[in-house]
Amino acid sequence: MSDHKERLDQSLSAFMDGEASDMEMHRLLKEVSEDTELRNKWKRYHMASSALKGDPAIASIDYSSAIAAAIEQEPAHRLGGLAVFAGSAGRFAIAASVALVAVFGVQQLNSPLDTVSDVSEFAGVEQMDEENTGPAIQFPSGFQPIINARTVSAGGNNKRSQYVTPVIEVRQQVKQKYSETELRAYMNDIMVKHSNHAVLNSNQGMLPFARLNDGEAATEKE
Amino acid sequence: MVSSLTVKSIKLAALLAAVLLHGPLFAGTMESAHDLMARMAKASRELNYQGLFTYEYRGNLTSVKVMHGVRDGQTFEHILHMDGAQREAVRRTDNVDCLRAGDMLLRGNAYRINNDNYARLEDFYEFHIKGDGRIANRQVTMVHVLPKDKHRYGYVVAIDKESGLLLQSVLMSHTGKPLERFQFVEIVVGASLSEMGFDEEAEDFAGVAVDQVDCLEANRQVTSSPSMWRAQWLPPGFVIASHRAADENGQESMMFTDGLAVFSVFIDPDKGRSLPSIDANLGATVAVLTKADINNQEYAICVVGEIPRATVNQIASAISLSP
Repeated sequence: MSDHKERLDQSLSAFMDGEASDMEMHRLLKEVSEDTELRNKWKRYHMASSALKGDPAIASIDYSSAIAAAIEQEPAHRLGGLAVFAGSAGRFAIAASVALVAVFGVQQLNSPLDTVSDVSEFAGVEQMDEENTGPAIQFPSGFQPIINARTVSAGGNNKRSQYVTPVIEVRQQVKQKYSETELRAYMNDIMVKHSNHAVLNSNQGMLPFARLNDGEAATEKE
Repeated sequence: MVSSLTVKSIKLAALLAAVLLHGPLFAGTMESAHDLMARMAKASRELNYQGLFTYEYRGNLTSVKVMHGVRDGQTFEHILHMDGAQREAVRRTDNVDCLRAGDMLLRGNAYRINNDNYARLEDFYEFHIKGDGRIANRQVTMVHVLPKDKHRYGYVVAIDKESGLLLQSVLMSHTGKPLERFQFVEIVVGASLSEMGFDEEAEDFAGVAVDQVDCLEANRQVTSSPSMWRAQWLPPGFVIASHRAADENGQESMMFTDGLAVFSVFIDPDKGRSLPSIDANLGATVAVLTKADINNQEYAICVVGEIPRATVNQIASAISLSP
């Protein structure tokens, strides 16, 4: 190990113990942005110290690279005919008890419909599996969450970029014609009603309303 | 040598005395986990509070601003989603004291299902106090709620020591993976309605209908006007909490709770022809739509709730029209 590295390691230890001088801190900050090995060490130290303190949320996941990769692979999104629908039926049907002001920014997602036959999945998200649905931050280390960051190619309209659309899987024994807009509207409607129910009876305050994500955007069948 | 031994035994005696004296005291002042949960349900309804909370699932984070106030026995709520498309909700309910099925279950009163059966929350969940923590710069008690069967999820909750409000709730799968997380980042408890700016919104509130004008009436309806629809099977511990008769579109709905988890059943007489069968996930919520062909009517039956998918499927297939 070179002298330089050794010194950095000592500075890092000192920093973790809250005993680093200003000079050491400066050097560390400068080096950590360039030195992957040092950065990893820094993360390990933090995890270890969080674990020792019994801190439940160990901030061990470095999103930056995964998000960049996800964006890289993302196909460009197009706006389609359903944007028109967004203005009218796209709003939540308002339950008698709740006035929900919902202005939907509908964004088209390319759906992988061509790859499936009987089961059409029309949100651009893989089938959710109960094992990996939770808050990403609590994933054990070494287990990468699926990050569904989306970007849009059309300028300006990026307000939905951090949302995942709900996964709706259509099970069809017999091919049936149906309107996806109607299906979406129906799902929105029952979600609002269910949340209303839940707020009254789940004893968890207003948490159920938080579940009314704006991911209820429709996608168009190709 | 002798002296150090004496010191040691004195220390030991002091320690023993401290434990003996303090032990029972400690037990006496400590609320049981279940009491804490019951207090939480009451606090979230009866206190004035406003704050910001985050809601997280599958690596997605949204933040929500909430105001909750009580005046003259009416509750006023305003929910504003802080990111994404503009969404907000104002809600007004009557009769803050009214106990619904969910409340009764959580408060530990045995809730009578029918003449012979009682539902009790403790029969379906274990409650464990897991120590102290700090959420939104407030001291909290952490409680683990473990399901005793596969039909419901568990929770890790943080309850504010001072007010009893729920400041964090993490829904946990059976394998111990978090499914969603709700957590306050900032909360102010005890401000008056006008301090919270409710007066400026009075018009908004006047504009919305009161939710379930008379809660007692709604509860009575559950028993006196049962639906033609029956769930031939229900996950143990779940009781019917409300039933809404067919609306103008013919949609009937029923809601069930075990005191913590909730699921709803929607039955539409004519939707079956136009809607396909579906499985859907929306955050931690699962929805299953099945169809039933009865007397030339194709009904759409939709079960939606924060319970495991297998249970949702089982319920959906057990809904039938009583002869």
